[in-house]
Amino acid sequence: MSGAPDEIAETSPPTAPDAAQPESTPETPAEADAPAAAEAPVAAALIVCPACATVNDPDAKFCEECGTQLGELVEVSADPETTDDTHAEADEATSSTAAPRRACVYCGGSIADDGYCELCGKPAQSERDHWQEAPAAWVGGVCDRGIRHEINEDAMALSADPQVGEFAVLVVCDGVSSTPGSDKASLAAARAATAILEAGRVTDVADGHGDEYAQARWSGRMLEAGERASAAIYEAIGELAARTNPPSCTFAAAVIDGPLVVVGGVGDSRVYWIADDGKSRQLTTDDSWSQEMMAHGMSRQQAESAPQAHSITRWLGADSPDEVPHVVPTYPTGAGWILVCSDGLWNYCSDADDLAQLVHRVVGSVGTNPVQVASALVDWANEQGGQDNITAALARFDSVVPTPAQPA
Amino acid sequence: MAEFTASVFQNEFLSDGATDVHAIVTVTVAGAGQAGQGQGMAAGEIIIVDTSGSMTGENLGAAKHAASVAVDQILDGTWFAVISGTDTAARAFPYPNARLPMVQMEPGARAAAKQAIAAFQPSGGTAMGTWLTLARELFQATPQATQRHAILLTDGKNEHESAQALSQAIYNATGVFQCDARGVGSRWQVDELRQIATALLGTVDLIAKPADMAADFESIIKQSMGRGVASADLRVWAPQGSEVLFVRQVAPTVEDLTTRKTMVNPLTGSYPTGSWGDESRDYHVAVRVASKPVGSEQLAARVQLTVRDEVVASGLVKARWSNDDALTARIDPAVAHYTGQTELASAIQDGLAAKAAGDAATATVKLGRAVQLAAETGNDEATAKLRKVVEIDDANEGTVRLRRDVAKLDEMALDTASTKTTRVRK
Repeated sequence: MSGAPDEIAETSPPTAPDAAQPESTPETPAEADAPAAAEAPVAAALIVCPACATVNDPDAKFCEECGTQLGELVEVSADPETTDDTHAEADEATSSTAAPRRACVYCGGSIADDGYCELCGKPAQSERDHWQEAPAAWVGGVCDRGIRHEINEDAMALSADPQVGEFAVLVVCDGVSSTPGSDKASLAAARAATAILEAGRVTDVADGHGDEYAQARWSGRMLEAGERASAAIYEAIGELAARTNPPSCTFAAAVIDGPLVVVGGVGDSRVYWIADDGKSRQLTTDDSWSQEMMAHGMSRQQAESAPQAHSITRWLGADSPDEVPHVVPTYPTGAGWILVCSDGLWNYCSDADDLAQLVHRVVGSVGTNPVQVASALVDWANEQGGQDNITAALARFDSVVPTPAQPA
Repeated sequence: MAEFTASVFQNEFLSDGATDVHAIVTVTVAGAGQAGQGQGMAAGEIIIVDTSGSMTGENLGAAKHAASVAVDQILDGTWFAVISGTDTAARAFPYPNARLPMVQMEPGARAAAKQAIAAFQPSGGTAMGTWLTLARELFQATPQATQRHAILLTDGKNEHESAQALSQAIYNATGVFQCDARGVGSRWQVDELRQIATALLGTVDLIAKPADMAADFESIIKQSMGRGVASADLRVWAPQGSEVLFVRQVAPTVEDLTTRKTMVNPLTGSYPTGSWGDESRDYHVAVRVASKPVGSEQLAARVQLTVRDEVVASGLVKARWSNDDALTARIDPAVAHYTGQTELASAIQDGLAAKAAGDAATATVKLGRAVQLAAETGNDEATAKLRKVVEIDDANEGTVRLRRDVAKLDEMALDTASTKTTRVRK
C-alpha cells in the first residue's frame, strides 16, 4: 500500500506570493539615477493576493477584493533543500486550486467576491488561517486558526516517503501569542526544521545502519534543526527581532526513520504515541510552568488548569534563554499513530490515554486517512471552544515492518 | 451615470446563544438623471382624475387646474394619456377616436390635452378598479414606454364596484406601473387608496384643500420625471439554514416588503422597489441565524440593489458572537429608531381603526403608545397630528384622552401620515 496519488493531491500549504516582499526590490545604482526610477520600486512592491490574484497597494494588510490577509508569509530561502519535491508538488496544488473562486473550508460552498461563503456566510479563510498537508498517504496534518484568535500563529511542515513507515518528518511550531510576527516566526521555523531533518535522511545502507548510530545521528540533527529554525525566525522577522518581546515560537518535531522515532521539543507543543492497543504515551516533555509544577508533585489536572499553566519556560526566538531541543529516541511497538500537536488540541484532552480514546473514536468515524483524522481532531477542538490555534499532524505508524530498505 | 451606494448600520456583536441579527441598510442614488433618458428607455405617464358626480363644483375645478399643471410638467418625449374616471373609465386624451393608446408629449399634444381636461363634465359614480384597468391596458399597449407611472385623484369611496373587483384590478396592475394616489376632501377612504399605493409602489396622501391640489400634482410629476433609474430591486441573501424574519422599507415611509419577495435562488429573495431618483431609502432587515460559538463570525445577509439583474450596490450584514456585554448589549441607534417608527405607524393605524369601530379603550391605549413613540423618536410631525386627535396628558408615559368632536380631516391626515418616518440622527 504505497501512496495513493489522489490522497497526496490534497496538500495545500500557504504560499508566499513573490511580490509580497517589497524589501527585496533590487537596487542598482544605474536605475537609481534614471528619472523614472522613483516610480519603479512602487510598482514592483504591489502585493498580489494569493487567493484571488487582485493587485493591492504595497502597504495593504488585507486584500481589497476578497479580504484575505496579506501578511507576507515567509519563504525559507537560504537552504536549497527546502525546494524538495514535496513542497514543489504542494505549491502546484495550491496554485491550481486558488483559481478565482475558492471553496469554503467549512461547507464546500464557493467564496464570493466580498470574502464570505455564498452558502454558509462564514468568512473566507486565508491559506494561512487554515491549511492541510498530506505529503504521503500515511502522513497528514491540519493547521487551523481556531475560533477565538484573530491570527493563526500555529504552523506545521510535513515531509514523507510514499512507502508507509519508511521515512517522515513532522514539525509543529506554535507562535507565542500577543507578539506581532509570531505567525511568520512559526512558519519559518517549521519549514526550516523540516528541511534540515529531511536532509538528514541516510538512504545509503552501507553508511552504518546500526541503531545506536541512527539514534546519535538523529539526536544531532534534531539539535541542528532547532538552531536552523531559530536562524530562520531571525531571517523572517527582520526588525521585529529588536522588540522587547520579539516573535518566537515553540517547536515539536518527530522523525520516523524505519522503526526508530526521534522526537524533539522546545516549549509546550507535543508529540504523542497513540497506540491502537496497549499503552499510549506523551513522548515530549513540556517546558512549561505546569510541567515544572507536576515535577514538584502537583496533579496534571490541577497544574494544567492553573492560570499560569501556559507560561512556557523555553522557546525558539530572539530572546530565548535556551533553544536546545530535548531529544528522545523511541521504538514504538505495534500499530498506532505518531501525533504532533499544539496546545490548541491538547488543552482539551491532555492525558495520553484520553487523547488515544479521542483518536480511536475519530478513526472509527472518518477512517484512517491522516488528513481526515487531523481535520476531525481540529473540528473537535473547535467544538470545545477553539480557544487557541489548533494544529494536528499524524503519521500512521506500524512497527511490524522493521525490515531495512533494500539496497538500490 | 447613476451612482449607487449602500451603508449598513448595525451592532454586529451578538451575545452567546443569540440568533437574531438586525440592520438598517441605507441605499442612496445620485446622478439618476431624468426619466426615460437612458439608452432604449422611454417614460410613460397617465393622469387619472375622478370626474364622478360628487366632484361637482370646487373640487372638479381644482382638479382640472391641477391636471393641466401636471401636463405642463411632463417632459417632451414622454408617452402620456389622461383618464377620466367614474363608475367606468374613459380615455380623455388621446381623444377616444385616436388610433394610438398613448402619444408622446410635444407642445401640440400638451395644448390638446389641456383642452380635453377643460372639457371634463361631472357625472356618475366611482369604480377605481376600472380606472386602473384602463391605465394598465394603455401602458401594455405602449411597450415603448418602459418606465410607467400614474397619478390617481379621487374624492370619494369606491362605491360602484366590489372590493374584490378593486383588489383584482390592483393585483393585475402590480408590476405594470407605479401609482401615487391622492384623496381630496374627507369622504374618501384612506385604506382604499393605501391599498392601491402600497401595491403599486407609490405614496398615498390627503389634499385637504382643493387649492393645494395643483402644487401637489406638480411635485408628484416632477418627482416622477426626476427618476432616471427606471426600476431597481432590493436583493437579500441570507445563509443556508437561516430565516429572513422581515425586510421593510423604513424611510422615507414604512412599507413592509416581506410579502413582495420572489426568490432569485434558494438563498436570495428579490423585492421590487420601483424607480429611483436622487434619493436615499432606508431598509430594516432582520435575519435569524443559528447561534455560533463565542468568537465566531459570519455573514448574516448581503443586501444589494440591482438594476436589470446587475448588482449596483451591496451592503454586508454581519454577526459576531462575543461574551463581552459592553459590545453585545448596545442596540444600534438606527435600528432602535426605525423599530420605534415602525411601531409608531402601526399604533396610529390600529388606534384609529379601534376608534372608528367604537372601541375607545383600545384606541386610547394605542394612540397613547403612538404619542409616546413619536416623542421618543423625535417625530414632531406625528406628535402635532396626534395632538389634534387626542389630549396629551403625559407624552413620556403615553397617557392620553380621546378628543371629542375630532375633525374627520384631522384623523385622515394622521392616518395618511402615519407611515412617514423621520430620519435617524446619525
